[in-house]
Amino acid sequence: MKKGFAILMALCLLLGCVPALADELYRVGVCQHIQHEALDEATQGFIDALTAEIGDEVSIEIQNASGDNGVCLAIISDFVSNDVDLILANSTPSLQAAYAATSDIPVLGTSITEYCVALGLDGFNDVSGSNISGTSDLAPLDQQAALITELFPQAQKVAILYCSAEPNSLYQVEIVTAELEKLGISVKPFSFVDVNEMSLIAQEACDYADVIYTPTDNTIAASAGILDNICHPAGKPVITGDTGTCRTAGAAVLGISYYELGSLTGRMAASILKEETDISTLPIAYAENVTKYYNPAICEALGITIPDGFTALPAN
Amino acid sequence: MNSFINALPGAAAQGLIWGVMAIGLYITYRLLNISDLTVDGSFCTGGAVGVMLIMNGWNVWFALLAAILVGMLTGMVTGLLHTSCGIPAILSGILTQLGLWSVNLAIMGMKANQSINVNKYKLLVSLRYLQDFNKGKRTFLEHPIFVVGMITLALIAVLYWFFGTELGSSLRATGSNPSMARAQGINTNRNIVLGLMVSNGLVALSGALLAQYQSFADINMGRGAIVIGLAAVIIGEVIFGKLFRNFAFKLLGVSLGAIIYYVVIQAVVSLSGINSNYLKLLSAIIVGLFLAVPYWKGKYFAKAARKGGSAHA
Repeated sequence: MKKGFAILMALCLLLGCVPALADELYRVGVCQHIQHEALDEATQGFIDALTAEIGDEVSIEIQNASGDNGVCLAIISDFVSNDVDLILANSTPSLQAAYAATSDIPVLGTSITEYCVALGLDGFNDVSGSNISGTSDLAPLDQQAALITELFPQAQKVAILYCSAEPNSLYQVEIVTAELEKLGISVKPFSFVDVNEMSLIAQEACDYADVIYTPTDNTIAASAGILDNICHPAGKPVITGDTGTCRTAGAAVLGISYYELGSLTGRMAASILKEETDISTLPIAYAENVTKYYNPAICEALGITIPDGFTALPAN
Repeated sequence: MNSFINALPGAAAQGLIWGVMAIGLYITYRLLNISDLTVDGSFCTGGAVGVMLIMNGWNVWFALLAAILVGMLTGMVTGLLHTSCGIPAILSGILTQLGLWSVNLAIMGMKANQSINVNKYKLLVSLRYLQDFNKGKRTFLEHPIFVVGMITLALIAVLYWFFGTELGSSLRATGSNPSMARAQGINTNRNIVLGLMVSNGLVALSGALLAQYQSFADINMGRGAIVIGLAAVIIGEVIFGKLFRNFAFKLLGVSLGAIIYYVVIQAVVSLSGINSNYLKLLSAIIVGLFLAVPYWKGKYFAKAARKGGSAHA
């Protein structure tokens, strides 16, 4: 049995080529929950902005939990026991783990939709009063609802398609439903369990509605191709909550850039580390620019006339 | 290396929590000889019940007890599907797991993720307590390793007693030789249902502990739980199999197996300077090595005398 341990230890030592860190560097740990286009962009934006601000004074360790909560906890434990100077938690489960793990290391979140939902805080008003702050990926939902009516003034029925496994989707669904109903449109939610069920439910949504709306839903984002294969032949336009999905399957989107969101977070990190800004008074930041994008290929195929004020969605 | 050692308590605590689940799995997988896929669902059921009850002001211990009872119900469903409806055990588990998705969502108020703030509720275990202990704000009696360790020992004691009773022995007989057990007048169907109930009760307890530890219950938290549980069972058997012959020690070995699993994960996270996208592959390789080394040892380094001995067998 000793041999097994010996081999394991040898392997660990081989892998353990962690560079010795100089003391004067600020150490930042990045925990990204899963490999995903939007999250990747946010991480990249964070790194680029932080490097641009205080690049020579900071060492950044990037870890990806590959969608596994257990690994996510292991990564966060590593950061906390290492006593890093700041943690970037990219997406909700990472933020929840970081918040559970430490009450004094500053934790910045990004790609989080609602901090009060994620952390179980009541009366949370953009300032957490604790070691948590960050950026939210929520594009103003009332403006998203207005975008639907602007693009499709004749639409009567909107189907909202979302995955019941996503913490943030339901929240957006409720608000968008209320906003659309205010505009006199009937709305029906269609939820599915996982990607296997998605095509069936999407088909039902197409049968019901004139226009389909999807919130910022990771499952939909990861399987946008399915959405396109169903809705496109059915001739039903899709308005998406995030730009990535719109590129594959959507007709239009009120876009925020995750890269920009990440760099906004990076600048917050620089100000916490360098200027010793108190994180407990730092309000949650939102993307500064929203752009009305349309997907030229899909809009042309569905014969949608684009009003003024829309920009063609740039290719990736 | 230093950060790895500092992070070890976290890994051990997490491993202990999963160890409770692995002990549950051991009962079905080893004692009853059933691969029970209910666990991917019942793990989350336990977490959901625990979190929702604590949020509604229940005492933590009662919430854990309720989680166990609801977990036992899920096991009963699988057991009845298998014994009363004639569905193969593996399919019964899959069916229950499938149905539990909606049940779990309903328990969590139709939300996919319910957060339980460690500052607002009095939790039994939390990742936060590890740091509090390091800073001297909490005693070792509140340390997750101590708390879950004690729970594990208590569970092992109860299980050791139970599997020594007439009922428990007949349950073990059901797993090792169902025809013989029936010939002895043992109601094997009842025992299978009972075994699945005990197992899923433990799995749900583990889920309720983990949800507190990470301070949220998530609809996906049970996904792949059976893989982690089986890895723990097998690692435990491989490493401690020769050492631990007694039933109680075997259960302890399973719990230690879960700890080793998470120490390995922690080692990969803390020690590797490589791209973390390779993390899953590295964990698979290391766990694979653990399982393969004893086999190689037996195959290539076995004493010649043993071969001769088998001829007389």
